[in-house]
Amino acid sequence: MRHRGVANWPITIRVALATAALMILLGLVASQQVLSRLGKLQDERLREFARLHVEGLAVALGPFVLHKDVWEVYETLDRARANSTGQRILLTVVGDERGQVLAATDPIRAPVDSSIRRFAEGAVSVSEVTAGNGAPVVKIAAPLSVQGREVGRVVTELDVSDLVAQRRTTTVALLAANAVATFVIALAGYFVVARMLKPITLLASHMGEAGGAPQPIPEASIPKSDTVVGRLFRNFNEMAGAIKSRSDAERRLAERERFVSLGRLSSSLAHEINNPLGGLLNAADTIRTYAERPEVVQQSAELLDRGLKHLRDVSRAILEENRLDRSGRPLSATDLDDLRLLFEPETSRQGQVLEWPPTPSSGLLERYPSAPVRQIALNLLLNASSAAPEGGNVVFRLRADQEGIALIVADDGPGLSDADLARLMSAAPVAPGGGVGLRLVRDLVCGLGGVVQHHRADGRTTITVDLPALGVM
Amino acid sequence: MDRRRFLGGFGASGFLCAPALTRAATTFRLGLTPVFLDNDAVVIDQLRSALSDAMETPVELIQRKTYQEITATLLDGSVDAAWICGFPFLQHRDRLSLLGVPEWHGRPLYQSYLIVSAEDAAAGLADLRGSVHAFSDPDSNSGFLVTASDLARIGETPERFFSRAIYTYGHRNVVRAVAGGLTRSGSVDGYVWETLAIVEPELTARTRIASRSEWLGFPPFASRSDRIATPEVERFGRALRSLEQTLAGREALGLLFLDRIVEAAPSLFDGIARRMAEVGLSE
Repeated sequence: MRHRGVANWPITIRVALATAALMILLGLVASQQVLSRLGKLQDERLREFARLHVEGLAVALGPFVLHKDVWEVYETLDRARANSTGQRILLTVVGDERGQVLAATDPIRAPVDSSIRRFAEGAVSVSEVTAGNGAPVVKIAAPLSVQGREVGRVVTELDVSDLVAQRRTTTVALLAANAVATFVIALAGYFVVARMLKPITLLASHMGEAGGAPQPIPEASIPKSDTVVGRLFRNFNEMAGAIKSRSDAERRLAERERFVSLGRLSSSLAHEINNPLGGLLNAADTIRTYAERPEVVQQSAELLDRGLKHLRDVSRAILEENRLDRSGRPLSATDLDDLRLLFEPETSRQGQVLEWPPTPSSGLLERYPSAPVRQIALNLLLNASSAAPEGGNVVFRLRADQEGIALIVADDGPGLSDADLARLMSAAPVAPGGGVGLRLVRDLVCGLGGVVQHHRADGRTTITVDLPALGVM
Repeated sequence: MDRRRFLGGFGASGFLCAPALTRAATTFRLGLTPVFLDNDAVVIDQLRSALSDAMETPVELIQRKTYQEITATLLDGSVDAAWICGFPFLQHRDRLSLLGVPEWHGRPLYQSYLIVSAEDAAAGLADLRGSVHAFSDPDSNSGFLVTASDLARIGETPERFFSRAIYTYGHRNVVRAVAGGLTRSGSVDGYVWETLAIVEPELTARTRIASRSEWLGFPPFASRSDRIATPEVERFGRALRSLEQTLAGREALGLLFLDRIVEAAPSLFDGIARRMAEVGLSE
């Protein structure tokens, strides 16, 4: 998850961080080189110093050590100490060939005739001396030879705290300089990348961050000099225009779908209007023929009244379906009656058996808008009816409770084709040649926050639309 | 006189030796040793010019490291006279004669000091058994003979009594050895220690006098007996004994913290002769 988090950071930050990481790496490598070089130089200087010191002492002390002349050894060490610059030499001890101290610059620490061994502990030879192990004092031991014969040895304690401090100071200075350089370069990297990515940021902001649809980039924001970016922006604007055109076309198509539904019902509805007309005309003839028979007139008038009311209901349902402004009205039992009035003749015409649900208790339907729910139900029912065979079954069930409602439409047809399923169940582009009824169902369901489920079993296709309860429209 | 004038180093030897190459035949040569007079060019030059003025003859000062060397140069005639110690004078009593003895604090006498470091609790020689000791010169009375004879009185020799005895060939070096902790104790000329206490008090402050010897004859100026009567040596003896009468002479004596140089009989060194006898040496 952490990795995803980093991947989601703005590219400007990521580039700045990457620059900083590379700078830190570079700084570490460079610092290591500098410190290594400094250490080498220091050690070379230290060894040269130690070598001169020991060689000088060997020349001066050799004869005295050979004759075990304590005073002259002491005198020579004392003079060497007085003449040496700086305070690098802390202690020099000279021993004879038996390892007994002849003299030292500090006789209190290294008394005459004591063992030189404790001073020689941890001492290294001149060629191995280094200030690199951080100790403030290093010890060197060297043999004293006269004419090729070893007559004693010198042990010297050197104060290298200044060299150690120099290394520490250099380390701190390098770290500080690298930190500052890293910060400055990372900051510069951030600004440079931010400037370079400005067109991309602009593009991203118009890509659909607000409202989901790509917005064209204003002509004023398109750079004149950068032809690549300019071309990219213009292409983007053309693309945004094309998407808008297509979206408009889809919206118009959806508008038309309502008329398409009616169109598909037209012949059934024409029958529905035409069938009672014969009866009504007969009733009119009967009235004219038996005008003097009040009971016949009365009976015919009631027949006329019923027929005309049916016609009125059918035309009202058609008008209702065609009304452009239905968006604000809540769903009601009347909508279910209208649906049945419009759809039932279609099944009758094909000799299909329609199972219609009982009207739910009041108060449960009013939570949903009328127009989209009617459109969803009608489209699914028309689809089921056209799929079901002559004399087949079309089932419509409605389950309503406090949580939401479920529209269940089932038929015993051959099932939905892959193309139809794609229209109903996914947002994949609509393949050309097909209708948009099922895609409209999907879009409307999505708009209401619901889900569509498809189930095919035992030769029956069942489509369930679950709509969550919404506030009163 | 300040410390720089009184003290010095071996560098003075080179300076003193150089004129020998161009020495005139009449130049009077006086031998010195830094064992006693560890001084620098200013003191040496003042003494030389005072003596030259008084003698009306150029005087050349010849310096050697040890009493043995300077005694040898005196005996073989390389120098006409020398400022030596009473001990070597007595060792070669048969061949040497006295020209004069310096007076210090009004007497031609001095003492030998046994010194230890300022913090050392040793009350005397007996407490120093088994430690490291510094002598100034095996031919020095105050810097060797006194201690050696003290040890002889208790049946000891320096080699047995001390774990190690070193020779520093300079009384000032003995003080340095003890002050620096190189040795626990040292045998030193009392005149030199007292003079150092004036000009270099921070050095002597790190030492303490554990014991003092009896008063003994001050290191004398001597010449070979067979040349004592030559005009040059006689003139040198007179010049020496009248140094305090000239300004340059008084300045030279002042630099050396000495009053004057007086005539003295060999009996002045009887004390040293007794100590020599105690260690089995005779005149």
